[in-house]
Amino acid sequence: MASPQPKIKSKVRCVDGEVGEVVHVIADPLSLDVSHIVVRANGTERQVPVSAIGAVRGESVELTCNAAQFSGFPELKRQDYVSSKEVEIPHLENRIHVEPGELLVPFPELEKNCARRSFFAGFINVIGALIALPLVWPVLRYIMKPMYVPYDNHWIKIGNISKIKTEDIGVQYIFKKSFKDSVLQREEEKNHWVVKASPETLKKIYTHGDIPFYDEKGAVIWINNQTVPYVAFSGKCPHLGCGYKWRSHKTRGQVFLCPCHLSIYDASGAVLDGPAPRPLDVLPIQISPSGDIEVIDVEYKAGKKEQVRIA
Amino acid sequence: MAHPVENISSIKLAWAVSWSAFWTGFPFKLIVALLLLAGQVHPWEGAGLVTLLVVSVPIDIWAVGLTARTVFLERLGMEVRGPVGVSLWWEGAVLGALVLGSGYYAVGTTVAVGQKIAAAIIARIKNFYPKLPIAEQITLELLLWTIPAAIVLLVFVLVWLHLFGWRVKRFVMTSGQPSSASLLERVRQWDYARVPADPTLVLVSFAGVIVTLTVVFWVLLPVTTPTPHPDYPLPQVEKASKPVKPEELIKKTEANLEKAEAVLAALEKEKSKETKKRKGK
Amino acid sequence: MNAVFQKVYDFVDERIDLKTLEAKMMNEPIKGGSRWAYVFGSCLLFIFIMQAITGMLLMFYYIPSADHAYASTQYIIHEVDYGWFILSYHFWGSSAMVVMVFAHMSQVFLWGAYKKPREMIWLVGLVLFVIVMAFGFTGYLLPWDQRAYWATTVGVEIMDKTPLVGDFLARFLKGGPTPGQMTLSRFFVIHVMILPAALMGLAGLHLFFFRSAGPAGPFRGTPEELKAKTDFFFPRQVWKDIVAIAAVFMAICALAFIEPVQLLEQATPDPGDYHPEPEWYFLFLFQMLRWKIFSGEFGEVLGAVAIPGMFLLLLAALPFIDRNPERNIFKRPIALLSWTVVMIGILVLTVSAILNREFLE
Repeated sequence: MASPQPKIKSKVRCVDGEVGEVVHVIADPLSLDVSHIVVRANGTERQVPVSAIGAVRGESVELTCNAAQFSGFPELKRQDYVSSKEVEIPHLENRIHVEPGELLVPFPELEKNCARRSFFAGFINVIGALIALPLVWPVLRYIMKPMYVPYDNHWIKIGNISKIKTEDIGVQYIFKKSFKDSVLQREEEKNHWVVKASPETLKKIYTHGDIPFYDEKGAVIWINNQTVPYVAFSGKCPHLGCGYKWRSHKTRGQVFLCPCHLSIYDASGAVLDGPAPRPLDVLPIQISPSGDIEVIDVEYKAGKKEQVRIA
Repeated sequence: MAHPVENISSIKLAWAVSWSAFWTGFPFKLIVALLLLAGQVHPWEGAGLVTLLVVSVPIDIWAVGLTARTVFLERLGMEVRGPVGVSLWWEGAVLGALVLGSGYYAVGTTVAVGQKIAAAIIARIKNFYPKLPIAEQITLELLLWTIPAAIVLLVFVLVWLHLFGWRVKRFVMTSGQPSSASLLERVRQWDYARVPADPTLVLVSFAGVIVTLTVVFWVLLPVTTPTPHPDYPLPQVEKASKPVKPEELIKKTEANLEKAEAVLAALEKEKSKETKKRKGK
Repeated sequence: MNAVFQKVYDFVDERIDLKTLEAKMMNEPIKGGSRWAYVFGSCLLFIFIMQAITGMLLMFYYIPSADHAYASTQYIIHEVDYGWFILSYHFWGSSAMVVMVFAHMSQVFLWGAYKKPREMIWLVGLVLFVIVMAFGFTGYLLPWDQRAYWATTVGVEIMDKTPLVGDFLARFLKGGPTPGQMTLSRFFVIHVMILPAALMGLAGLHLFFFRSAGPAGPFRGTPEELKAKTDFFFPRQVWKDIVAIAAVFMAICALAFIEPVQLLEQATPDPGDYHPEPEWYFLFLFQMLRWKIFSGEFGEVLGAVAIPGMFLLLLAALPFIDRNPERNIFKRPIALLSWTVVMIGILVLTVSAILNREFLE
């Protein structure tokens, strides 16, 4: 632009006198030039094309028309414009300085109908769903693959009863369990506790009758009963899954004691003290003719009042 | 003054209509092809191909109509009333069947003859220069027969475009009126052609179709690979487990336990004998 | 429900001026209006996001060790529910990425959009192109089958021929003198950490530069025409972008169904009957290296390092060499001719490589 930019608040003079002041400047978004100034005169804002500007002198703008012609300029339709703050036009604000005040840019003709805009916006969401929705189920199943594997119902030999000399004493059996962990064939050291129960202890354990074990479909896979005086307890504390030990206690004598949160159980697995919500978990047990102890490595969820099998 | 149609070449006009119509219809056809593929049906042969072609007809008619109206408004300033899509699609399809059908035959012949000639030329070159390396030979031979084939193909496509353009021009001349609207209004006109009269209805039904198709997709998509590796040991189906019979179980356990206790007693006896022996010494 | 949403929106807006931010992002006037020709960049962003998502999903099961990489990939294909589909999508997604990069670069080239003032966008774009190729190269090794192992072996041998730094570069990538566990670890880290981070950063820069310089717009049209067709980025360009993105998504799915990933045998240092070959988008280079002029030590450096390197440098220098402001491709015959020759050359060499397979027995 050859002449200086008209400034906001500049007085606007027609050939026959002052008419008002500049309140906005309108820029062309393609050429980045000022296309109009908006002049407020007697409370109405009129859009004056730059072609009607004769000269810009400091704080005043001189128009080439007279006051009567000035009132022929159209009023500003504010809704047809956006502020330069709400639109991204590179370098526009570098070229046209209007601070303090508002630089206006015409709203593109195509964007003026709200209903059309909202149809396209809705369409965008629907197509987004076309992409996202088909993936939901496959991705969910993909991630869930190892989360609900079938229970391991195999019998594992954990040791021999010859290790137990006294009744109602907890004896730890450490054994190696080998299993398939996704693609890896792994071996892990685990431990369970076996008690040779005295008739009284046995009675306590079987207060509610035989102890059945279930698979994931709820079918019985095994039943422990009183004819076997040996009882295997899962090495996982039913409180929060720590490993407990057989220890002597100051006041209670020999007990199962969990060092994590001090749950205490007697030889029958009953809770004597501490935060444990249920007795120690009994495992399916079988004794072979040669005295080998075999168990199913059943695992229950810790921290629950009821036994909820998870593996 | 010449008719505005005379200012544009028929090839350009036909290209403008058919190129955009192809891409307009493409995503819709892709949805159908994808569902066929998910169901293990090949969309390029047999029933799959028939399905795809049948579904393509209405899609193409709609797409040709939409893009042709736009091109007429934008390039020619012409407005056409009535079923543009059907009339143009019909002519394009008949011309396509004739020109591109014979083009298929012509290109096939060119390829066959071209490959023979290329092989002969390579043989001649090998007479003079027997050490011609294989990589260079392959590319040279490929160029020798693909260049004429590509030219023949291009000619047939141009012929089709020219003929189709000629028909499009005739169509605009007979059924179109020059639009009195300004450029701005015409732009708005073809923009509005892409927005339905009842946007909510269209959006809701389109969303419904997508949800339905998604469910169909989930049902069809195989869970495990349709092409397993020949050496991969697929997991065996688990054998049905025997139901537990409590009484038998108890009997068996008792028997086992008795035996175990006997063994234990014997072991302990032996052990005590040994200790006695040791003490005796 | 709407009232709650409005309240949350107002809460955020009051604090971070969300409305203005939204307006700045969406209200970008596109000179000459939205176009289907402008969708490629958005498609690339989409493909990258999907590669990131499927890549993360694959890492749920993949084990990056020479002992288990092959077995865990086979496990994904054969045992994990829909694993074959996720892996095949990721595999074909990488091809789609390369195709889309070529489309995007071609569009920018043909539209003359690399010219002043958009040189910086073009330069960052070229680095992104190299990163995409590196993604393809490093990802190819991870399944650890014969195809993977041998493509990598040959690829690294090629890099080894670079003057001065070649030996160091090859040892750096292999993590030793020969390929093994260290190679797999390095390729894994480069593929899942280094390249994604680099790509995200540079793609952000690419977009920032693009927003700063503004879209180039069409290369012809009268000012009145351009003005009449002008619209904002949102909603029409976004709408076109997402339709194209949906088509890309469906095309990748279709390829995953037509040709699901199938591994060869586990990698061994003995190729057996297998003829090593790189991923298809490197085939043209691979075939070129079979030519007599690129044999011998000097020839190999020339074909494998010097020519591709010079080509990239030429592309980088392009906006500085070609300073003619004319953007109409039909008035830039040299540009149009070079683009056609390069594209046909790549096509012919790729087909030649496929035909060449028959002559390897």
